Amino acid sequence: MSDGIKRRDFLKVLGVTGAGAGLVGCSTDHVEKLIPYVVPPEDITPGVATWYSSVCGECSAGCGVWVKTREGRAIKVEGNPNHPVSGGALCSRGHASLQGLYNPDRVTGPMRRTSNGFESIGWDEAEGMLLQGIQGAGSSTALISGKEGPTLSALMDEVVDLVGGTRIEYEALSEAPLREAARLAFGRDVIPTFRLDDAEFILSFGADFLETWLSPVEYTRGFARASGVDEAHDKARFVFLSPRLSLTGQNADEWVPLEPGSEAVVALAMANVLVRDGASAGPYGDLLQAYTPESAAQEAGIPAETIEELAQAFGASASLAVGPGVAGQGANATATNLAVLILNAVAGNVGSTLQIGVEDRGAASASYRGLSEAISGMAGGQIQAAIVHGTNPAYSLPPAAGFREALGQLDFSVAITSQIDETAALCDLVLPARHSLETWGDANPRPGLWSVRQPAMAPVPHFDSRPAGDLLLALARGLGGEPDGETFHDYLRNRWSERHADAGSPGGTFDQFWREALRSGVVNLDEAVVEAPSLQAPDRALSFDRPQLEGEGLTLVVYPSTRLGDGRGANKPWLQELPDPVTKLAWHSWIEIHPETAQEMGLRRGDIVRVSSPHGEVEVPVYPYPGIRADTVAISMGAGHENYGRYADGKGVNPMRLLPANVEEPSGALTHLNVRVEVEATGRRRRMATIEGSDQQYDRPIAPAVQIDQLRAGALEHEAGYPLQELQGGGGFIPVPVPGDGAPEDYPLEGARYGDYDPAENPRWAMAIDLDKCTGCSACVTACQVENNVASVGEDQVMMGRDLHWIRMDRYYEQIDASAPGPVDVRFVPMLCQHCGNAPCEPVCPVYAAYHTPDGLNGQVYNRCVGTRYCANNCPYKVRVFNWHRFSEVPEPLNWQYNPDVTVRTEGVMEKCSFCVQRIREGENKATLENRELGSDEVIPACQQSCPAEAIVFGNIRDPESRVAQVSNNDRTYRVLDVLINTQPAVNYLRKVTFHPVDSIHV
Amino acid sequence: MATATEQERGAATHPDIRSYGEVNEDVLLMLNRPGKWWWVLLGMSIAGIGLLAFSWGNQIINGIGLSGLNTPVGWGAYITTFVFWVGIAHSGTLISAILFLFRARWRQSIYRAAEAMTVFAVMTAGLYPLIHLGRVWHAYWLFPYPNQRLLWPNFSSPLVWDVFAVTTYFTVSSLFFVMGLIPDIAAARDQAPKGTLRQKLYKLTSFGWRGTDRQWHHFGKAYLYLAALATPLVLSVHSVVSWDFAMSIVPGWHATIFAPYFVAGAIFSGVAMVITILVPIRKVFGLEKYLTTKHFDAMAKLCLVTGIIVFYAYLTEFFMAWYSGEDPERRVFWNRAFGHYWWATWIMLTCNGILPILLWFKRVRYSIPALFVISLFINIGMWFERFVIIVTSLSHEFIPFAWNVYRPSLTEMGIVIGTFGWFFFWMLLFIRLLPPVAIAEIKEVLPPPMRPKKKEVAQ
Repeated sequence: MSDGIKRRDFLKVLGVTGAGAGLVGCSTDHVEKLIPYVVPPEDITPGVATWYSSVCGECSAGCGVWVKTREGRAIKVEGNPNHPVSGGALCSRGHASLQGLYNPDRVTGPMRRTSNGFESIGWDEAEGMLLQGIQGAGSSTALISGKEGPTLSALMDEVVDLVGGTRIEYEALSEAPLREAARLAFGRDVIPTFRLDDAEFILSFGADFLETWLSPVEYTRGFARASGVDEAHDKARFVFLSPRLSLTGQNADEWVPLEPGSEAVVALAMANVLVRDGASAGPYGDLLQAYTPESAAQEAGIPAETIEELAQAFGASASLAVGPGVAGQGANATATNLAVLILNAVAGNVGSTLQIGVEDRGAASASYRGLSEAISGMAGGQIQAAIVHGTNPAYSLPPAAGFREALGQLDFSVAITSQIDETAALCDLVLPARHSLETWGDANPRPGLWSVRQPAMAPVPHFDSRPAGDLLLALARGLGGEPDGETFHDYLRNRWSERHADAGSPGGTFDQFWREALRSGVVNLDEAVVEAPSLQAPDRALSFDRPQLEGEGLTLVVYPSTRLGDGRGANKPWLQELPDPVTKLAWHSWIEIHPETAQEMGLRRGDIVRVSSPHGEVEVPVYPYPGIRADTVAISMGAGHENYGRYADGKGVNPMRLLPANVEEPSGALTHLNVRVEVEATGRRRRMATIEGSDQQYDRPIAPAVQIDQLRAGALEHEAGYPLQELQGGGGFIPVPVPGDGAPEDYPLEGARYGDYDPAENPRWAMAIDLDKCTGCSACVTACQVENNVASVGEDQVMMGRDLHWIRMDRYYEQIDASAPGPVDVRFVPMLCQHCGNAPCEPVCPVYAAYHTPDGLNGQVYNRCVGTRYCANNCPYKVRVFNWHRFSEVPEPLNWQYNPDVTVRTEGVMEKCSFCVQRIREGENKATLENRELGSDEVIPACQQSCPAEAIVFGNIRDPESRVAQVSNNDRTYRVLDVLINTQPAVNYLRKVTFHPVDSIHV
Repeated sequence: MATATEQERGAATHPDIRSYGEVNEDVLLMLNRPGKWWWVLLGMSIAGIGLLAFSWGNQIINGIGLSGLNTPVGWGAYITTFVFWVGIAHSGTLISAILFLFRARWRQSIYRAAEAMTVFAVMTAGLYPLIHLGRVWHAYWLFPYPNQRLLWPNFSSPLVWDVFAVTTYFTVSSLFFVMGLIPDIAAARDQAPKGTLRQKLYKLTSFGWRGTDRQWHHFGKAYLYLAALATPLVLSVHSVVSWDFAMSIVPGWHATIFAPYFVAGAIFSGVAMVITILVPIRKVFGLEKYLTTKHFDAMAKLCLVTGIIVFYAYLTEFFMAWYSGEDPERRVFWNRAFGHYWWATWIMLTCNGILPILLWFKRVRYSIPALFVISLFINIGMWFERFVIIVTSLSHEFIPFAWNVYRPSLTEMGIVIGTFGWFFFWMLLFIRLLPPVAIAEIKEVLPPPMRPKKKEVAQ
């Protein structure tokens, strides 16, 4: 294929430039009906998608995205391949932003608080109240926000400055300790850039960089590139040091289950070993003397040899240490981050795998300290009015922080929010804000890299909302200010015009620059290249020692949820229903306890226990998990909402209720590692909402692995696959004798007719999945759900085993030992319809609803299906799912999320992965219109598109030049169960590669 | 004209029946005004039908999700009960057709009730393929009806074979049942009071039977012909039903033994059900003369033989699972015995394998109460056999991560109980409206009416 502009790209350009801004911009004229067009808009062709580049607003990573719209309606968010953060991929939370846009619990109009709850009011009255309230409070106004884009943040500062109030930024998941540590170590207040893909040896001190830590999509890509095996480079070794094995830890090669809070001393001891062997620690040389491997080993409860060995390996290769994560954020969080940075510096990683950019002049780290002070001010009367936007402290702070009470004492509080949350519910005035997919904005994920967010569609007409920026501009004007712009769109353009001029007018005139910025979604404003800094002496004393924990019993680890983040994903059924990648539980909370501890306490899976700390208690069911230390328990954040919408309320528990509201010094972050908890049985049990049957594969040919030495020695050379056969006839083929004993390689039989599957004329769609790269993050599961209108079924139905996901992320434990450092081996297998060439589902369907297409797909005709479920019974992979009820009926406007290219299934029919047949047919149609053959790699299904680890490849396997054929042509290739039952699956898996010996490498 | 040996045989099977007239009287007496308990039982059956209608209607409106089925276990109580009733339906045709061809004269007293049971059991079983469908309103798509889209059912699917097998079986067994009834209905017609609705109905359904030689000649030929036609069906229907399982690749289902295993199981359960039904009828209507302990002894022997075959099949399955050396197969059977559903398996083994050992003893075979209790247990055991085969296999298949268990829901229990109401509703109507014991055929084995010897008169 030529490198010139592709038709799809052209359409995207057209969509952006062709007056897209004017049509979908900040107009407040609601378009009630999108179809029919009396005067058709130029950039909408019915049936053809229009794409807009934008920025994901679900976490502060700032992934560039493309939003797919059809007939003016956003239907899918995909990663922007030009964007250095997302690299074209996206996580589950990014995909689910669509359900924030169409959430039926969004605020429908401005509301005022009365004695009987909220009452609807008009916008004029609401804006009047806002202005009056802020004018009344004057300098005792606080504006509490999350971490906003640079322009909105600047506007907020401007508004606050007008009254002389306080601006507070607060994010529940704060990177403040890392930034503070970078400032202490290198004199630069910036988040370092971690270049995982360049590392050959990665140590994580508990950083969940594949899930929630800083920029998971980017790090997943980097990690998969580093640890995936290919001809180009060797597999990077990854060691995880943490009391709990997170999903990131499950992808490690070794696990060092150290004492919670002892990460700092271990990192320093490792640096000490390197210094002893000749490395330089700059001003920290003396400090390191105190941290010998022996003393650290004692502190961390691990052997000193492990520390020695890891340190030496760390020093000997291109290495990178990251962490700790949010979960490990104790009273020594900054010190731990500093220790890890010192370790990197001592090993000489600064400037190579770890880069310290220029100082981040943008927003300060949104730590808890500012809010903590504001709460005191609110309680003490110094703050009398508050505007809250983009953050939910009433939920995400421990009750001990006193935020709720303080907010209640204010004279005036207003929430500018698209959805009612616990904080907004306490405010006097609620102003419905636009969702991030409906607004203008920008993002500055790291110094030098910018993106502009543009609205992908006209505001959803069900909600009478306004952009937060417009509201603040109106407020600023009311307060006598003269903000530079009528609407936030103007304001943003003006700021960018200045920025463009400051940067020396790259890309021609501002209009040209702006169009290009919107089209590509990426703006690189070159910052001065800075030299790698050297270690500086810290400007304050820090304690690296393991922090003292309150209370008695088991140490409590509270970690951010891969699915719900800090809790803001909780009202999205896609995220609630996504099984947690580690525990495979959906919809509700759980407490992870080591199986031996659970056994000692007489607890079984599903027993509800009361977990009590000195600060509170919660009741939660037990999930025995071998990947956690025996003296530690863990609960995930994000659940247990009280007032966040129909899908969130009452689901699970909020572990923040167990924590004190401690500020970590010097970073100001909220600490999460604080308490020990008592766990006692309540005598009650519950059925867990899980998709997991067994975590053992019983030596079946499902997820084999190979040790890297064996692989290099060619142990798998003779395991390589055989060509994929189509053995299903279109009806009535003549039986012919089977030579040999009917082994797969005996097929196709000489003289037999296998229907219409002429290899010369038809492609054979197939997939390759590299299990050495797959991290089990489950982004593909949600991507598939969005693309294919897969319904969510709810907690009760998941409990019964009726989830509808077309991809099931199977997970098998091979080796997990929490008692001592050692290898860890967890195998993930994304299990989707295998589109077998000899499919067991097809012959048993009495009505031909399951049939074989000439291009090798297992078709499923929903309209023809009568629902005998025989096909699902006979599917050995168990990837067929059934519509037990009318799951596709969702409250308006959640149904706007549906992809018009895919049938919405009704009750009583079977469904399953279609290999995104709508994308195949779209590609074929396009190729036909352009009078050419469809390229073998041209069709990209939603799972492949979304995979941050780049583990999935799809294409026509009959074309030996296709990527799928090339990737599959590998010693590691195998097909699940095929040797057992000759199903000829079209999904080729490439087995996982380990450093430790594995039981059996043969399938 | 009966020969001397036949006289003896008649005397041996029915020693207490004196005359042809007595047969007419005794049997047609059953068609008189029913007693209180009949009405109570009928009321309970109608309540059962109501439960069925409510549960099924609710399920149609609110979705098949009201069952407890889930993704690995797509079939559960519905298909279990379907196979159960198809199995029950077996013994009727076996007794009436195969034993007819083999001239096993002990069938005469029991075959009418067994045939009725067959027809009603097929009617009950036939509900289940409809009940278990996700979209029952499209059930007719399983039939090869002419349509302008030229769409055919998939003839390679065992479910389509099922459609043909069950409908054929229902057609032939109903024909056989109705035809055998003609002379007896005529007898009932002759006895019914003139001008009543009952008499008119009998008149219609006796098809003008007058008992002429010519009619008897045609009747005998047709009966023989239908018996020959029905005989292969006895073996084929349950073989086809077994292929629903054996043709799949599910571990625990995919076995060559299934057809004979299922046929034996069907006869086993069918004969047990005949015993279960006939014991109370015999007691209530005082039919001890007609249903002697010898009949029950013969049925018990049939149970014993088929029970041994079934138990052997169980053991073979376990052995073959071990012998296969494949983990999926082995683990399914290990799970059967010791896994989540161990109790169902042990109910099955106890009821079908261990309890029937008692039938080796003649005293047990001749004890009506003992037989009744054993037959009840066999019925329970045979329901659980199908439950075990279906549910334990599906719940632990090839991919361990996808394993899951199934619990029947209230809706399923309502429907299963409701269909028993449906079955007994027809059974109860049958024993009151149609002669439940074959009048004409019993007469065939009785000694011909002769003037009694003088000394007998003197007595």
